[in-house]
This record gives sequence, C-alpha cells and structure tokens, in this order.
Amino acid sequence: MSQTKEAKKRKMSLEKRHNLTGWIFLTPATLMIAAMSFWPMIQAFILSLQTGTANKLKFDGFSNYSRMFKDTVFMQSLGNTFLYLIIQVPIMLILALILASMLNNKNLRCKGLFRTAIFLPCATSLVSYAIIFRSLFGVDGFINSVLIKFGILNTGYNFLGHATSAKIVIIIALIWRWTGYNMVFYLSGLQNIEYSVYEAAKIDGASPMQTFFKITVPLLKPTILLTAIMSTNGTLQLFDESLNLTRGGPSNATITMSHYIYNQSFKYVPKFGYAAAMSFLIFILVAILAFVQMKVGDKRD
Amino acid sequence: MKRKLLCALLCAAMTATMLAGCGDKKDDNAADTNQEASNDNSASDESASSDNNATDESEEAGDSESSSSEGGNKLTVWCWDPAFNMYAMETAGEIYKKDHADFELEVIETPWDDVQSKLTTAATSGSFETLPDIILMQDNAFQKNVISYPEAFVDLTGAVDYSKFGEAKTAYSVIDGKNYGVPFDNGAVIAAYRTDILEQAGMKIDDFTDITWDEYLEKGKTVLEKTGKPLLSCQAGESDVIMMMLQSCGSSLFDDEGKPAMVDNAALKKVMETYAALKEAGVLVEVNDWDQYISTLTTETVAGTINGCWIMASIQTAEDQSGKWGITNMPKLVDVENATNYSNNGGSSWAVTSNCKNVDLAKDFLASTFAGSVELYETILPKSGALATYLPAGDSDVYGEPSEFYGGDAVFSKITEFAGKIPSNNTGVYYYEARDAVATAMQNVVGGGNIDDALKEAQSTIEFNMEQ
Amino acid sequence: MTKTKRANALMYVVLIIVSLISVFPLYWMLISATNKSIDVSRGTMLPGTAFFDNLKALFAAQPVQTAMFNSFKYAIILTICALIICSLAGYGFEIYHDKGKDTVMSILLLAMMVPFVATLVPLFRMFSAAKLLNTTIAFILPTISTPFLIMMFRQSARSFPHDIIEAARIDGLNEVQIFFRMFIPTMRSTYAAAMTITFMNAWNNYLWPKVMMTEDGTITMPMLVANLTEGYVTDYGVLMLAVLICSLPTVIIFFLLQKSFAEGITGAVK
Repeated sequence: MSQTKEAKKRKMSLEKRHNLTGWIFLTPATLMIAAMSFWPMIQAFILSLQTGTANKLKFDGFSNYSRMFKDTVFMQSLGNTFLYLIIQVPIMLILALILASMLNNKNLRCKGLFRTAIFLPCATSLVSYAIIFRSLFGVDGFINSVLIKFGILNTGYNFLGHATSAKIVIIIALIWRWTGYNMVFYLSGLQNIEYSVYEAAKIDGASPMQTFFKITVPLLKPTILLTAIMSTNGTLQLFDESLNLTRGGPSNATITMSHYIYNQSFKYVPKFGYAAAMSFLIFILVAILAFVQMKVGDKRD
Repeated sequence: MKRKLLCALLCAAMTATMLAGCGDKKDDNAADTNQEASNDNSASDESASSDNNATDESEEAGDSESSSSEGGNKLTVWCWDPAFNMYAMETAGEIYKKDHADFELEVIETPWDDVQSKLTTAATSGSFETLPDIILMQDNAFQKNVISYPEAFVDLTGAVDYSKFGEAKTAYSVIDGKNYGVPFDNGAVIAAYRTDILEQAGMKIDDFTDITWDEYLEKGKTVLEKTGKPLLSCQAGESDVIMMMLQSCGSSLFDDEGKPAMVDNAALKKVMETYAALKEAGVLVEVNDWDQYISTLTTETVAGTINGCWIMASIQTAEDQSGKWGITNMPKLVDVENATNYSNNGGSSWAVTSNCKNVDLAKDFLASTFAGSVELYETILPKSGALATYLPAGDSDVYGEPSEFYGGDAVFSKITEFAGKIPSNNTGVYYYEARDAVATAMQNVVGGGNIDDALKEAQSTIEFNMEQ
Repeated sequence: MTKTKRANALMYVVLIIVSLISVFPLYWMLISATNKSIDVSRGTMLPGTAFFDNLKALFAAQPVQTAMFNSFKYAIILTICALIICSLAGYGFEIYHDKGKDTVMSILLLAMMVPFVATLVPLFRMFSAAKLLNTTIAFILPTISTPFLIMMFRQSARSFPHDIIEAARIDGLNEVQIFFRMFIPTMRSTYAAAMTITFMNAWNNYLWPKVMMTEDGTITMPMLVANLTEGYVTDYGVLMLAVLICSLPTVIIFFLLQKSFAEGITGAVK
C-alpha cells in the first residue's frame, strides 16, 4: 500500500518535473515572440484606435474599423484576396502533395535534380520572376504566340489588362512559385513514415491512388495542417505578387489587402492608424481560419 | 531519488548555460554593433555628444575619429542612381572640396522607394537621428512629405537664389510660401520621334513641332497606316501621359485650396477624351509595365514617345538607332485655356533634413554647387545626361553641343529652353492617391465606361482618402 | 507489369514537364545575364557574349562582396539561432504537451498573423531607442523565433516515438541530453527542411532591412538588386546577373540539403 503510494508520488513529481522542463524548453522562444511580435502588436492595436495622417493622430474609438467597410478599394482588395485564397491554396497544396509523393518513390532516378528543379521557383528572386511573368503574358508574349499558333486566338490577348485574366495570371504565378516550397514540408514529413508501410500496401495490392489517400494523406495530416495554416496566412498577407506583377491593376482588380495597406502607409499620405486597423482585420480573419483548421486537423490520436 | 534530483539540477544548469551562452553571443554582438552604431550615431549626433562628452567617455573616444564631431564638416546624402544623381552629388562634393579642403561627403545609395519608407518610418517613430543630412526627393512626393512631417525638414528660403530656376520646377518644393528644396534634375517633357519611320510616312519632325493633339492624332493615323507603327506607347494603369497633358495647360487634379477638382474639370475631361481617342485609333498602345514600355522603344514597335527628358538615357541604349531619333516639343490640347506645348514629368530636388547638425554647411554646399556652379552642370552633363534645371547652365557651350544620336540637334539647350516654358501646377498633398484614382478612371473609360461617371468615382475615392 | 511501367513512364513525363516549367525562369535569367541590356529588352532567348562585361559592370557599380558577406552573415547566424530556439520550443510543446502548453501554442500562432507592415513602425521605434539600428542583432531578433518554425517542429515531433524517450530516461539520460542526443539526430530531415526554409527567408528578407539599414556597409543582396532597378535606366543584363547571383546560394543550399530531408535515415530511429 505504502509502496504504491510512494510510486504514485514519485510518478507525480516526475511528471511535474517533465512538465516544468517543457516550460523551460519553450521559454526562450516564447519570450522572443512576446517581445518581437506581441509587444509591437499591442502598440499597433493602440495605433489602430487613432485617426489622422502622419503624426497628427488622435484617439477616435473604433472609427477606423467602421471606415474600412466604406472603403471601396479596400473592400475590393478583400474580395480579391479571398478569391486567391479559395482557388489557389487547395490547388497548390494538392499539387505539392502529389509531387512530393511521386518524388518519395525509392526507385525514381535523378530525384535530386527533380526536387531542386521544382524548388527553384521560390528561390528565384521576385524581381526576375515578375519580369518573366509579365513578358510571358504580354500581348506579344510567349503564351499569346503559342495560342495564336494553335489557332485558339486570332490576335494577342492582353492578359494583364483584363480583370479576370489578370487574376488568373496571379493565381498561376502563386502556384508556380510556392508549390515547391510546400513540397519541402511534405517531403520531410514523408520521411517519418516507414517505407515498409508502402511496401506492405503494395503487396496487399493497393493501387497508387489508394496508397495516396489511405496512407500518405492521413499520416501527413500534421504537416498538411501546418502548410494549410501557413498558406492561408501567406495568401491573406499577399503583397509581392500584387505589387510586382500587376501593380494592383487593372482598375484595382488584382490589388491585395497588404498591398493597399502598404500604399496607405508609404505611398500615399501616411495613415498609420487606418493601416493598423486594416492589418488587424487581416489578423482576425487569419486567426479565425487558423482556428477552424486547428479544430479540424489538430487532433492527437 | 538523489540521482534524479541531480539530473534535474544538471538539466536546469545546462539549460541555463545554454541560454546564457546564447545570450552571451547576442551581447557580444550587441556590444560590437553597438560600438559601430554609436560611432555612426555620433557622426550625425555631434552636438549632442560634444555637450555630454563628460558623461560618456567611450562615445567620446569614438567621436575623436569621426570628423564631424567638432567642425561638422561632413554631410551624408541619400540618393539612388550611380550613373546619375549619385554621380552628380559626388561631383558636387569634389567641386566644393576645392574651396573647403576639410569638407567630407558620404553618398549612400538608397533607392527612392527606400528613401520614402525610411523617411516615413523614422518620422513616424520620431527617430530623426536615423536620417542623413540631405536627401534627394521626387518632386511629386515633396508636398506630401513636407506637409506630413514638417518637423523633418529645414526651411531653405533665402539659402539659394531661386530666380535662377524655372518657376514650375521650384513650385514643387514650395510649401506655405517657404522653399524646402534645391531643384536638381529636369523632367521637362520631350516628344521623341523616329525620324526614319516618319520619313516612310512622308513626314518630318517639323510636322510634329508646335502641333495640337488633334493634328497628332491625324498624323498618327497616317503613320500607322503607312508603317504599321503607333506613335506612342505607355503603361496601362499609370497616369504619366494624362498628368503630362494636364500640366501642359497648367491644370491639376486639385484646385488652389487643395480640394480635389476632377468632376467638371474641363481640361481633365478633354485630356481623357484625347487619350481615349488616341487609344481607339491605335495611335497609342498600352503595355503592362515599364520594361515592356522601354522595349517598345528599343525594338522599334513604336515610332516615338512622349516623356520626361530623362527617357533619353533609355532611348540611347539602342546604339544602333543613333541618328534615327529627333526631339521636339509635345502636342498641345485643343479648346483648353492656357494650353501649351510644354510640360513636366518626374524630376527631383534636394532637401535638408532636420537631423542635419550643420545646416549652414548644407545650405552653403547646395548654394555653391547645385544652385551656383555652371561648372558642375557642365561636368556632369556629358557623362550622365543629367540636365540642369539651373537656368544659367543652359547658356553654357556644353549645352549647345550637337548630339549625334539625335541627328546633330543641340538637344540639351533645346530642352533647357522647354523647361523655362512649363506652366506650373499644384501637385497637392494627395498627389499619389489622385494619380492612382485617375489611372483607374482612365482604365474604366478605355474599357468602355463613361468619362463623367469614371471621374465622379475617382473624385469620391480621393475625397474618401482625404477624410482623415 | 506493363501497367506499372506505363504508370512509371507517366510519372517521368509529369515530373519532366513540371521541372521544365519550374526551371524556365532560371534559364531565362542565365541567358539574360550573358546578354547586353538592349538584347534582353528585345527578348532574346539565346546566350550572348556580354557575360564578362556585365560582371565587370556589376562589380564596378555595386559592392557585391560586401552584400554577399552581409547576407551570408545575417542568414547563417539567424538560421542557427532560430533553429535551436524554435526546435527546443517545438519539442517542448509536443513532448511535454498539456492543455496549458497547447493554449500557449495557439496564442503564439497569432503572432504570425499580423501583417508585418503593421508592426514595422513599433519595431523600428524599439530598435531605434535601443540604438541597435544597422546591426546584425536588429536584423536577426524580429525573426529569431517564429511561430511557424515552432509549429513545424511541434508537428514533426508528433511522430517522434515516445518509447525512445522512455528508454533513454531509463538509460539515465536527462531531458536536455535526450533532446540533443536523440531528438536532433532522429529529426535530421526536419532540421534540414527547416534550415533550407529559414535560410531562404532570411536571405530574401527585404522590407525590414530596407527600413532599418541606413548605412553603406550594411547592404544585403536583395537591397543590392533593388538598387539596380531604381534609376532612370535599367541595365537588364547586369540586373539579371545580380538576380542570378542572389538566387544561387539558396539553390545550392537546397541542392546540398535535399538528400537529408527527402531521403531521411529510415530505421535509425530504432
């Protein structure tokens, strides 16, 4: 009796100690995030309650927050950003997953080359890829030449000059650039799955499709959650593509929220209060989406 | 139990040392970089530290090396183009050094976008000490920055003789009757044409001198018909062409009180009609970005262009087209008051920041170089093509030299002459907002929208932006 | 058998097409870097002869060595520090997980959801007050600990077998030793992937240094590329050469590390 009690006590204290070790392990990172992100965030929030330009700011409650819903350009940017999110993120993640499981095949030759090639787009500087995409989709660009050659078009179509096609170009550019990036996480996640599982499945006569959906996807769930949250976040904060590929045009048809916030901070007469308020809307949107994703995907079995 | 305790202690100790180790590294770094930072800070902070030198010996030690502490004979400048304004600034430094042996100049390459974001960030944080002594500022951003952050700039009224500059140019940097800038490069608008292509259509450059946009349109149609080449290309979504047309009659997107004036603005409406007509006829083609615009010039896709005179540098990269280009003035608007054949696009001016501890030196430096030295402009012109807005420089022999690339024409004195005739207008504080709104309106009109509706929408966008 | 062969062939075709599309811009960059500006803007697709001229022009106009050195310095220091701090935290969050830690994790996640534009000015004010502008430490600190990296290690620690930990504890290893001796070697593939991504992000970091670095000697490669696109005339040949040089380190690091994170040492766990 006393022995079990003793053991229980020891177990308790051991658990407590491990618990404490866990806290110690995460302290440095947490402190850094608190200082480098949360503290500025609090200040940004205070700023978001102030209206005015430049340094002539005064507290005005939540009027910045109601203002943004009357801001037609901002509302348009919100719509654009969500369109990118809904279309681009699923396509990109599925593509990355398929490519990663293809490249995880042990018998594949030249794996290193394929991997590096597919990763290349995100390592390539934005400057060059913006120039390339603009020239590819230009009126006399490569894509138009091909389409004319195959008789699909009669004359060059100005892809970046029309609202719908410009949005499509941005989505293509995003998929092109970030698929390899997400693939990296899947590849590394796949290493934690024993290869013998796949071999067993093969012996059992499972088709590649079945293997993919029954083994790869469930086992990669933690990684898929990570990439989904990250991509959601990245897309809602999308900035570079809008600025460099289309400069938000034509007629604000492709402008993103972050691009508009940047304009309000640095290009136009600075309105940091308003910019901060819009940033907090993004924050709330991402937080809600991430929360939903966590609820759906973050269960320990 | 004892063993476990020991283990826990060890674990804690290890974590501690590890963290400390990490911390140490950071501290070392911090100490190192701090030293650097304080050295540099002292460079611009000399008056503060010389007051306090008793309190901070280490900083004093750093100071003794940096030249600016006592004499304050060093100026730091931000500007962005090594072949152009940086070269000009460095040359100015050389010239000033002849009379002031101990003068020092540090030019830091900083792209305009970065100058703007650094300026905004520093001013918003109240950290003016991060700014250099002098910055080069885009003329279009001058009003916005000075009115937003008046405490960041030094009033230069009376420091230089402003009568020696074109009035339109000086107007960019005048706020509330005070001068905040020393004009630098010229943005006078030129119309450049491929004379060989015009010839194929049976025309000469003189046929395009002192013309109206109506004539331009008709002649453009002929050129298009005979050679298949449009006369003009421009970036879709940018309002350069519109703004140039608008300024050519002294009009602006704002009225004199700075209120947006787009609706019922006869000049603006005419400008947009003209643009739409040019686009409709195919005389003007839109491309999607700057690189493509340049390539329409270099690949002979178009027979000419209209832009600030700085575009010449890009035109001249096509060496094989030497002698095939000619330069004249731009067309003028029809049925609009005060219409001229002259306008401005781009250009920049020097501003002195409030972080400058030796304002007298900065003023004297600018006054005796950019606002007083024909020699400076004569030196920089041939190598950089940096055209002066300093009018006396236009009389110099160097400016009268014929240019082979432009068919032996004395283009530089021609452009300086243009510069003197540009009507001035009010850029306004909300210039960039208005510019973007007009570009959006223009895209809507080109896409088949009604001009009045598009302008109404543009005006309400600006009014919304100005509410705060 | 023929079915698998056909499937294999299809796989190669797909991979080759995807790779070609991915590599095309690099090819274009390479070609452009060997051409004169005028030929680049005329859309050439063939190698030119101006490579050495461009190289000379680039080195004459820009402090390439300084920028390279700085970029490497910042990126390497940041990668090492970030990897240690974040993997430690990710491990702590998962291995010792309980309700409290899961809550802290969710709160930390919030930190990556605010656009950087919003925290830029407060951060700048902080570093300016601390007189840390233009320093390595100012470059590193804001991104030394990222929720993303913590979460990445947390998610992958989920597959780290608990019986290893138990076994190690019985062998008398303490918790820190377990982390360094068991976790790090086992999670090599995660570390390699994290290293690639962190290095790349640090290397390409632009907005923060652009605001915070105000001195000549502090230039980084992306800032150098930006310098080349300003000005009235852009030399596209030189620009593309700079972009190429700027892209290479990440590509090389990826190429070197890809084996470690894609062909992880299965079995070593046992």
